[in-house]
Amino acid sequence: MALAEIVGVGRTRTGEQWDLGLLDLAAEAGGAALDEARSIAPSGLVVGNALHGALGDQRNPATYLASRLGLGPVEAISVADDEASGGTALRSALALLAFGGHEAVLVVGVEKTCDSPPDELEAARASGLDVVREGGFGFGPAIAAGLGMGQYVARFGVDRDLFYHLPATAHHHAARNPLAFFAWTLTFEQYKRSGMVAEPLTVCDQAPMCDGAAAVLLRKAGSSRSGSHVKVLGSSSVSVTTGIDRPVLDLALPASTMSVAKALSQSKVALDEISCFEVHDANSFIAALAIESIGLADAGQALLSAELGEFRVGGTYPMWTFGGNKARGHAPGASGVYQVAESVLQLRGDAGENQVQDARLALVQSLGSFGATAVTHVLGQ
Amino acid sequence: MQIARAWRQQASNLRLIGSECRGCGQLMFPERVRCPKCRSVELASHPYVGRGEVCAVTTVYEAPHGFGDQVPYLAALVRLEEGPVVAAMLTDVDPADATVGMRVTMVTRRIIADGSDGPIVYGYKFAPEGEGGQP
Repeated sequence: MALAEIVGVGRTRTGEQWDLGLLDLAAEAGGAALDEARSIAPSGLVVGNALHGALGDQRNPATYLASRLGLGPVEAISVADDEASGGTALRSALALLAFGGHEAVLVVGVEKTCDSPPDELEAARASGLDVVREGGFGFGPAIAAGLGMGQYVARFGVDRDLFYHLPATAHHHAARNPLAFFAWTLTFEQYKRSGMVAEPLTVCDQAPMCDGAAAVLLRKAGSSRSGSHVKVLGSSSVSVTTGIDRPVLDLALPASTMSVAKALSQSKVALDEISCFEVHDANSFIAALAIESIGLADAGQALLSAELGEFRVGGTYPMWTFGGNKARGHAPGASGVYQVAESVLQLRGDAGENQVQDARLALVQSLGSFGATAVTHVLGQ
Repeated sequence: MQIARAWRQQASNLRLIGSECRGCGQLMFPERVRCPKCRSVELASHPYVGRGEVCAVTTVYEAPHGFGDQVPYLAALVRLEEGPVVAAMLTDVDPADATVGMRVTMVTRRIIADGSDGPIVYGYKFAPEGEGGQP
């Protein structure tokens, strides 16, 4: 049985949006989702955001967004769960529908990054690691990914340049998404020219930080008005022992594997039945581990699969069909909701040039705390 | 960084202190209050000797705010002789000479200086054995 129906989606353009603040972005996306189902008035609002606390922005955005959107008296919850915030916001909304006494709940993910210089942003992101033992000692997610990439190359004996095929896949799709931040194809020459961040990880291996907001409007499943709406079939969140050493040295994300298994089991769906995927690609290293941990490639094989085109539309496991975090743009607290909104468009048949033929089921996973937390949702028609 | 936070972390920054489970002997870093292996709450503070081996290392060119003055720096994972892994910077070694498998010893260095009026935080880094630290 479905957990909820998604009756509306909204997305802002991603990128540097100097004229819009955190709540402006959230209101644009949330308003667009409400506009798709004007007869439905949500009595709950969940807002996911990753960095507002660290960057000194509105740290209780749900309450203020409810006023901005004129929602009236609502239950408003702000969720901060690092880069899994979007997925956790959706899961929180499902809980509100299940036992919160609500018929409809609006979920918004939002991030405002372009007001802050890059080193301050990276320090804010580093507060999603162990703030004392990792962030406090000069480590951030990009540095952890650099460590991991070096391990991956050494352990599996793969050519370092094969990592190109992951961002290239994302860019290939983003080039046909008018809302994408980096709506252009990435050539190997551009990739090779990219500046070093933490050896061997380069700028082009990282999803670009940007402003953006996305929203989905949920309604209880099984209503008499149920029709052809996309449904949430499964939802799972798993957190395992923290520490950047675990993904880097083990080259696996057990939280990802476990949450996929639980979400698929709840949905009564097999992995091979999934039509399209949204996988957390904050950087090339974590993307490779996520692909392998979900079960879309054997250990050490993700890059080869990408080179063979398996993750492009038309391939075995199409993913990042709107550009992923890498090329649509990574607005960390919003990315998990973008993934869901984009998957809904795929399942509706509204994905334009990147439409996956006969898309029936989608799997969406967002990761936080350098892969210690994984939130997975399965969507279906 | 707030002065109180820097003060509170002094002891654990200057020595490598983790936990030892009195139930099953599991060693942990950083400190925990329950054993993840046997669920015991009988945990004792455990100071590590501070010797180990580099098991992953990267040269950092773009640093988080507060660490830019140290770029390029070496960020590493060090497996301590007792087993647990510590994330720490390497010091007193050229990036070209820092390799996986290198034996290292804990030393105390400046970790971050927060502007001209913030606290200067000292803590652990690792140097090649026999270079900056103890033999």
